[in-house]
Amino acid sequence: MKNLLIKTHELWLELLMAGFMSRTENRGKLYDFSNIVFRHFTWLEHHLIAEGESYDYDRDTIPVKVEKLSIILNNINRRISELDLQIISCPDEDLTKRINSDLNYIKATLSKMPDEEVTAFDTSRTLHGITLTQEATDALTLFLFEESYKEYELIMIYNYLQAHSDDAFLNRIFQIMIDESNFHLRSFGQMMSEMGILGVPRVIHKSLYQIEDVKQFLRDGIEEEIAAKEMCKELSDAVAKDSKELAAFFDFINYQEDYHISLMTDALVYYEGQENHG
Amino acid sequence: MTEVDAELIAHMSDPKNYGVLENADAIGIGENPENGEKVIIHLRVTEQGDEPQIEDIKFQAIGCMTTVVAGSVITQEAKGIGFPRAEELIAVTLGMLEQVPPEDAACSEMVALSLQAAMDSYIGKQKDPDFGTITYKIENSCTPKEQV
Repeated sequence: MKNLLIKTHELWLELLMAGFMSRTENRGKLYDFSNIVFRHFTWLEHHLIAEGESYDYDRDTIPVKVEKLSIILNNINRRISELDLQIISCPDEDLTKRINSDLNYIKATLSKMPDEEVTAFDTSRTLHGITLTQEATDALTLFLFEESYKEYELIMIYNYLQAHSDDAFLNRIFQIMIDESNFHLRSFGQMMSEMGILGVPRVIHKSLYQIEDVKQFLRDGIEEEIAAKEMCKELSDAVAKDSKELAAFFDFINYQEDYHISLMTDALVYYEGQENHG
Repeated sequence: MTEVDAELIAHMSDPKNYGVLENADAIGIGENPENGEKVIIHLRVTEQGDEPQIEDIKFQAIGCMTTVVAGSVITQEAKGIGFPRAEELIAVTLGMLEQVPPEDAACSEMVALSLQAAMDSYIGKQKDPDFGTITYKIENSCTPKEQV
C-alpha cells in the first residue's frame, strides 16, 4: 500500500507536468486527470491512516525532459500499467474498483491524444512574446523556481494536516489553501514551461509536513506570505515597463497572499482558542 | 541580483545528487539556528589505503533555491574525492564566502558545514559504531542587514 501511495504521487506529478508542457486543448484534460489522481492519492492516504500504517511523501525523481508530448504520455501509461498490477495489493475492493475504473479511462484517453512538440525545456526564457530586460528575466526565473517548489510544498503540508484532522473548521481552511496553492503552482508551471525552464519540484523533507508545532508553522507561514507579497511587488515593478499584463498578474498574486494570511491567522486563532479551552 | 545562466538553470531544474542514500555510512547536518533551515548530507565511503574516499553523496535541503544550487554544485565536486581533498574543498568554499555579504554566504556555508559534519561523523563512527549524527551551525546570518 505504501508503494502504491508513492507511485500514485509520482503519477499525479507526471500528469501535472505533462499538462504544463501542453499548449493545446490536451492541457485541460491532463489537468483534470492530474486532479483525479491527486484524489486517488488522498484516498490511499486515508486508507493507510485508517489502518494505522506509517507513511511519508518520499518518492523517486521523475524524468520529464521530452521533445514530444507523446513520449511523456507513453511513460505515464507505462506507470499506470504498473499501478494496475500494484493495486491488487489494496485490501479495499471498492477503492480498488474506483481507482481502476479511472485509470483505465485515463489510459485510453492518453493513448488517443494528438501529439505536440514540447518546448518546455528549451531555456528560451521569453514569455507571451514579451521582451523583458535581462534583469527582469533573471528575477522572474529565480522567482518561478523558488515559488513553484514552495507551492508544491504547501499543497503537501496542508494535505498532510487535513488528512490528520477531523475538525471541519480547520479542514475548510486547509482545503482552500490546497486549492489556492494548486492554482499558483499551475500558473507558475505554465509560465516555466513557456519560458523553457520547466522542472519537477524537489522531494519534500519529512520534517516540513510532519509538523510538531502547527502554531509555529502558521506564524512562520504568515511571515513567509508577507515576504512573498514583497517579492511579487518587486517583480511587478520590474516587469511593468515592458508588460502591463504581467505586472497585473503579479499584483493579483500579491493581493491573493492577503487572503492566505487572513486564513492562516484564522487557523492560528482557532488553535490558540482550542488550547485555552482545552 | 544573481545573474542567471544555463548552468544555474540546470542546477535549479534538476539539482545533482538530491535525495537520500539508503544505508549511508555517515550523515551530517548544517543548520541555520536563526530560521531552522538545514542541509542534510548522506555519504557512502570506501577506504582506499589509509584514506577514506567519498564514493557517493546525496543531499537534502530545507531552505531556499540558493541552498539547493550550492548543494548541487558542492556535492558534484565532492563525489569521488578523498577526505583530505574534501577538507580542502570546504576550506576553499568557506574562504570564498568571506568575500560575499553574510546573507549570500549563509546558504553555501550550510552546505560546506554539512559535508564537514558528515565526514566528522564518519570518522567518529570508525572509533565508536554508536557515534551519532553531527550538526554544525552556521555563523553567517541569512537576514539582510537592513532587515535586522
